[in-house]
Amino acid sequence: MELLSRHLVENEAFLKSTFIDCPDVIFRSFLIGKETKALLIYTEGLANIEEIDKNVLSPLMQQETEGIPDIQAVLEQKLSVSKVKPVTDTKQTVQEISSGNPVMLIDQQLPGITIGLAKWEKRAIEEPMAESVVRGPREGFTETISVNISLLRRKIKCPNLKMKSLVVGRYSQTQIVYMYIEGIVDQHLLDEVHNRLNRIDIDGVLESGYIEEFIEDYPYSPFPQILNTERPDVAASGLLEGRVVILVDGTPIVLIAPISLYSLFQASEDYYQRFMIGTLIRWLRYILLLIALVLPSTYVAILTYHQEMLPTTLLLSIAKSREQIPFPALIEAVIMEITFEAIREAGIRLPKQVGSAVSIVGALVIGQAAVSSGLVSAPMVMVVAITGVTSFAIPRYNASTAIRMLRFPMMAAAGTLGLLGIMLGILAIIVHLNTIRSFGVPYLSPMAPMKGAEMKDVLIRAPWWSLKKRPRLTGYSNTNRQPEGQKPNPLKGTE
Amino acid sequence: MLERGKISALQMAFMMNPTILATGLLLVPAITAKTAKQDLWLSPIWASFIGFMIVFVAYRLHKLYPKETMFEYSEQILGKIPGKMVGAIFVFYYFHVTGIIVREYGEFISGTFLHQTPMVVVFSTMIIVSAMAVYGGLEVIGRCSEMIVPVLLVLYLVIFVMLLKDLDTKNFFPMLENGLGPSLKGSVVLQSWFSEFILVSFFFPYLRDHDKGMKWGMISVFSVMFYMVLTNVMALLLFGKLTASLTYPVMVAARYISIAEFLAHLESIVIALWVAGTFIKITVFYYVLVLGIAQWLKLSDFRSIVLPIGFLLVLFGVWSAPNLQVLSHFLSTSAPFYLLSIQAGIPVILLIIAWIKKKRQQMKGKLIG
Repeated sequence: MELLSRHLVENEAFLKSTFIDCPDVIFRSFLIGKETKALLIYTEGLANIEEIDKNVLSPLMQQETEGIPDIQAVLEQKLSVSKVKPVTDTKQTVQEISSGNPVMLIDQQLPGITIGLAKWEKRAIEEPMAESVVRGPREGFTETISVNISLLRRKIKCPNLKMKSLVVGRYSQTQIVYMYIEGIVDQHLLDEVHNRLNRIDIDGVLESGYIEEFIEDYPYSPFPQILNTERPDVAASGLLEGRVVILVDGTPIVLIAPISLYSLFQASEDYYQRFMIGTLIRWLRYILLLIALVLPSTYVAILTYHQEMLPTTLLLSIAKSREQIPFPALIEAVIMEITFEAIREAGIRLPKQVGSAVSIVGALVIGQAAVSSGLVSAPMVMVVAITGVTSFAIPRYNASTAIRMLRFPMMAAAGTLGLLGIMLGILAIIVHLNTIRSFGVPYLSPMAPMKGAEMKDVLIRAPWWSLKKRPRLTGYSNTNRQPEGQKPNPLKGTE
Repeated sequence: MLERGKISALQMAFMMNPTILATGLLLVPAITAKTAKQDLWLSPIWASFIGFMIVFVAYRLHKLYPKETMFEYSEQILGKIPGKMVGAIFVFYYFHVTGIIVREYGEFISGTFLHQTPMVVVFSTMIIVSAMAVYGGLEVIGRCSEMIVPVLLVLYLVIFVMLLKDLDTKNFFPMLENGLGPSLKGSVVLQSWFSEFILVSFFFPYLRDHDKGMKWGMISVFSVMFYMVLTNVMALLLFGKLTASLTYPVMVAARYISIAEFLAHLESIVIALWVAGTFIKITVFYYVLVLGIAQWLKLSDFRSIVLPIGFLLVLFGVWSAPNLQVLSHFLSTSAPFYLLSIQAGIPVILLIIAWIKKKRQQMKGKLIG
């Protein structure tokens, strides 16, 4: 670590050689008073030039007093900026300039001063795209980490909300902040998060997905072991349950760890609507999850091996529609599923103007032409369509991608071993889910290992007044969420 | 310690249920009906006594050597070489028995389900999934059974309820026509299933709540007995005297189910559920075999031998019997004595010797003191 020199000329030479061919870094020399040389360095587009002119340059340049001004005096009397910080070494100076904070160096004076006047164009807070709700806050995280931190601070206005910051990415120098609530979070979890984040050595971090892949427990699992969200309320509820929230600069997606599988099937709105509908919708999601996973494979298995399971009339109508189809059920299913995945992918990637064309072509090709030309049967189109719709009902996108991927091996198993293959596939998935952990928390908790009391946030969505405890595996240093006996009762307080 | 994971006593109880019941439910009604006739529902009750006894013996041994499994304390009780020999008996025994279980599974699947699929494929697909669980260790097996078994137990009751309309209670009579004799004779074969409860002695050292081990062990013996009685009652009331001539009465029973004229022929679903139970059974035996070999050979980690042993189990499945008739004959004639002498005989002898040794040491202690 090299320290800044007392001589301005040396510092200027060093910085100019560092920022050679960086025309966006501006060096502005000026005099404080009559003879003291000073230098202001900032990056164009990242610094608030109006504020610099008004509150830094003009008071200093209009200084009348003679002699060399003391740096402390400059800070205390002249610089009408609230956020200033001393810098002593060259590395830090370079970093501050790169991240947008203007740095002022004064000849024969140490330390240098960074002025917190970074300002750049940022997106306004908007409604999150991927997680929309009918009832609930409409704000979403943005690409700016300071805004995201403020959004969380607005939700939890308590000094116990702590955060630790670190910089990852040798070139990108991305700021990463992990937040937690002191007194709820488990210290071991915190140490583990700290260690895993500090182990990362990468050239650049452009999205929180980079971080997620570096810190998860089982990299070869199709299931996400870290929750990602762009909703501050989801992040705040994670904090309140003793989880750690990891924010990465430059992306609106924040990470929450540890999680269990069930967190992936809970939408924030479950907790805002009335609890009965919350429970029913939760159950609906579990059923839809199962359908999304096994419907095409079950159809293949029944048609190939277990025709006797179908009632005769249904079997006859399916057989009639399959009369002209040249493919066995498995091939038919795979073709249709791949087509569906292609249309879905095209729908996401294509520019919006072309998107509607894709859906028209998709609907015509899949729905009409394929059936009438006798390439696929109508029931198969229905099966694929139902599967597609059900997989959209899973609230977390990365959980539904896991199901999408697993659907294909399940179809292969069903095509070779029938229902036995499906059962073995499901067993293999259960074994795998029981093997993996998220930051040491078993992935299927509280179902296995069984925690009876916590089931009421998994099997049902219990009303808020009965959710007295936090999940034990994440928040066991402080398990009580709220006191007993808060069930509403009109007679309360009258006696 | 080889196994670092811990399970709860409840998980152990859940593991033991399908471990006894999975193959039992298929074969028990027909086998007991042959000797016990219409009193077959009494046989599981008599047979369960051996289950209670074995859990008790295993728990006593566990109290004497709290941190060890049978492979380890047999050396302490009998001395190095005889102890190793007992270990060898158990290793080869579990190889053989797991092979038989895999074979039972394969015979059933190819007999009812996949007639043309080679049996080796049926074996090996199951062994691969089991190997995944064994590789994960005891914790994973415990959690899997905690998830799967309650569902299976409830669905089994649902089957029973759906069959209620077809049951004919007259089949119970004449009750105890020839005294208790036939039902006691019928229980002999069942005892070999109940003697499999000696598996709990391999789980006791890894219980998180040691003191509840005995309680939950006994509860799971009771639950196994309950389900066997239920199965036998179901078979008896549904088929009467026919029970003995059917190979898999429960599967035939499942064919009777029809819900709202739409969901008929549920036996495929019943088979799929049964496969889940058998998965637990094979995994538990497979795990004990792998753990036992690792402890017997004093390996530092059992994960490296999971796959080789899985391969051997497929071979043992092929080799254990030429066909279903021979297998079923073996199971209903010589197997009970074979299974009982190893699963009940050896632990009882071990416990007696251990007690004598302890008494002697106390005597010596008194003499010196």
